[in-house]
Amino acid sequence: MYDVVIIGSGASGGAVAYTLCKAGYKVAVLEKGRLMKREEFSKDELAYCRRDLVTPSLFDEYHTIEEKVEGKWVATPTYESGWSFWNGNVVGGSSNFMSGMLHRLHPDDFRLKSKYGAIKGANVVDWPISYEELEPYYDLTEELVGVSGHFEKHKYEPPRSRAQFSQPPTKENAVVRLLDKSCQALGIKSLVTPRAVLSKNKPGRDACYYSNFCGSYGCSSGAKSSSREALLKPALATGNLTLLTNTHVKYLHSESKEKVKYAMVVDTLTGKEKRIEGKIFVVAAQAHETARLLLNSANKHHPNGLANSSGELGKNLLFSGGGSGQGELHKETLKEIKFEDLMTTGLFVNRSVLDWYFVDHWWDGTFKGGSVEFMFEHQNIISRARKNNYKEGKLLWGTELGERVVKRMTEQKSIRFEIFNDWLPNDDCFVALDPSHKDKYGMPVGKLRVEGHPQDVKVGKYIAKKCEAVLEEMGAKNIYSGISSAPAQNLVAGGCRFGHDPKTSVLNKYCQAHDVPNLFVADASFMPTGGSVAYTWTIYANAFRVADNIVKTLKMA
Amino acid sequence: MKRRKFLILGSIFGLSPYVQAKEISTLEKKCKQVEPVIQAVQEHMFPEGSKLPSAKSMQVTAFLFATIAHKSFDKDIRAFVLEGAEELISREKGRFLTMSMVEKEKALRSYEKTNYGSSWLSRIMTLTMEGLFSDPVYGSNIQESGWKSVHAYGGFPRAKTKYLGT
Repeated sequence: MYDVVIIGSGASGGAVAYTLCKAGYKVAVLEKGRLMKREEFSKDELAYCRRDLVTPSLFDEYHTIEEKVEGKWVATPTYESGWSFWNGNVVGGSSNFMSGMLHRLHPDDFRLKSKYGAIKGANVVDWPISYEELEPYYDLTEELVGVSGHFEKHKYEPPRSRAQFSQPPTKENAVVRLLDKSCQALGIKSLVTPRAVLSKNKPGRDACYYSNFCGSYGCSSGAKSSSREALLKPALATGNLTLLTNTHVKYLHSESKEKVKYAMVVDTLTGKEKRIEGKIFVVAAQAHETARLLLNSANKHHPNGLANSSGELGKNLLFSGGGSGQGELHKETLKEIKFEDLMTTGLFVNRSVLDWYFVDHWWDGTFKGGSVEFMFEHQNIISRARKNNYKEGKLLWGTELGERVVKRMTEQKSIRFEIFNDWLPNDDCFVALDPSHKDKYGMPVGKLRVEGHPQDVKVGKYIAKKCEAVLEEMGAKNIYSGISSAPAQNLVAGGCRFGHDPKTSVLNKYCQAHDVPNLFVADASFMPTGGSVAYTWTIYANAFRVADNIVKTLKMA
Repeated sequence: MKRRKFLILGSIFGLSPYVQAKEISTLEKKCKQVEPVIQAVQEHMFPEGSKLPSAKSMQVTAFLFATIAHKSFDKDIRAFVLEGAEELISREKGRFLTMSMVEKEKALRSYEKTNYGSSWLSRIMTLTMEGLFSDPVYGSNIQESGWKSVHAYGGFPRAKTKYLGT
């Protein structure tokens, strides 16, 4: 029997495994995917971005997505739509493939209801912990996992216990000069984006080698601060970690109301089932799959799903509000920088704007806003060559296509912005079990209803307008943005919100199930509200906090 | 409309026989039947004398068939690719291959006016571009000609083996 069994090896699973192994406990990490070593990660666009090298085939494992069509909820299996909600099912999970643009939450993100009051149609609540309780773990993540950057004071930058980042920013493309100048002209403060990519070597990991293909790809130098590189490798080195790959957990079995006894797993290669026993179980399968696993673990002691006496399990699923936009910087009209410098590949844009994180304006009003990241259009070659090849509604081909594609890819470069604003928790965004669809292991698949709140779109559009002005000031052409309530499937949280009251939350403030003391949830499921930045830094930080408490629990036992 | 529904309802043949095709030889046979017309369409889309490498010189037809014939490839899309070619053959009464460039252009633009044809041509375009601009390990993009033409290069490390599916 293991001291702790962790389901999932992504950011949160890695942080818990690292902490417990270092503290001397015997840990098993169950990962349904395989182990891909650093040397295996290539920049193969076809395999990583257009096929399913690192995610399950949607015909074997899928979700059903429920959307409102003409006033009725319609569930579509993802094998029909091609809209995959898998984000990297190998050891290290989606942290292998992130772009790594990280921010801490703001202290007011922990008390959104107190700050702004209730919002009609949204289930906003304050968190049971404060920023101050999480800050030491943000700091730990920055140092241990590795976040590079440069801190500059800003009214919406949260306070830090460390004056400056140990890792300076990664190298930047000359476009930042144009971007910074354009922002300045508009009275906007551009900040250096903290990035989960090493700019300097760390023991066992080499600094970024600027491959030009970072997001969506695994890292071949160990620079990207994935769970696999930063946490699981050192955890394995302790001798206390058993990493069970190709091991899919079907359900958790409880023989009493208060205790999970074992995980029923299936070997994905042989189909053989077995039980993995532990004293403590930590679920870290990514929010939508965590809720599904607990719902699939219902039995006579937990008829509505494991740890679901509140009825809150799966509810208030979160994505990220906002959207994106872009414009083209053309050779013939480029200002401030040389075209050759703009076209230099591999270097980062590394700029974000927090000016609209909270909006308090005499005309626009007072509301929670969001953050913005600036970046180049993804450098994938096939997707760049393939897009926008229509003229007057007809597909271009022949020599005209050649002219169009070559001109677009050699005489201009697109600059993008991505907006992150709160996805307000609401009654129409949740995970349930699909009543008829099952995966290849015979377990009901997760049915995700993914409706956003109208306020999310309103905020996104407000910020998009500001960002379009920045691109215009930069001299970009053909500027457009797309803000919608469609969820970004790689930014998912909630479903097991934490809180003080067992009647209204699934987990307590330590992310321990109110109903089942030997069950913890370490991934982003705990978040009752998501804040207006990507979740990863908070996931790492909170998982370290949860792990510290598990160590205390084990010591007391 | 849902992709699958579109593929099935949009098909003039109704439910595809290839979806049920159990024998690999059946698939191979069907592929061979439509290969010349798909190749001709690819060569029309990516002709000699363009700023992009030609379909003929890049072996994109072999890439396309290796991709769609793989066991893990979406069987509905596979059927769609094959059926769409049969439909083109049928629309042009078997004469497409012997047509002049001008006639082919007219035939394809006419096919594009139908939703089904437009979707099929778009699929052929995608599968062809995937070959032209993917890592040379996949057999197309020979000597990185596709990448060179657009001054874009795949990152390192390069793929050592092809990945067509699980």
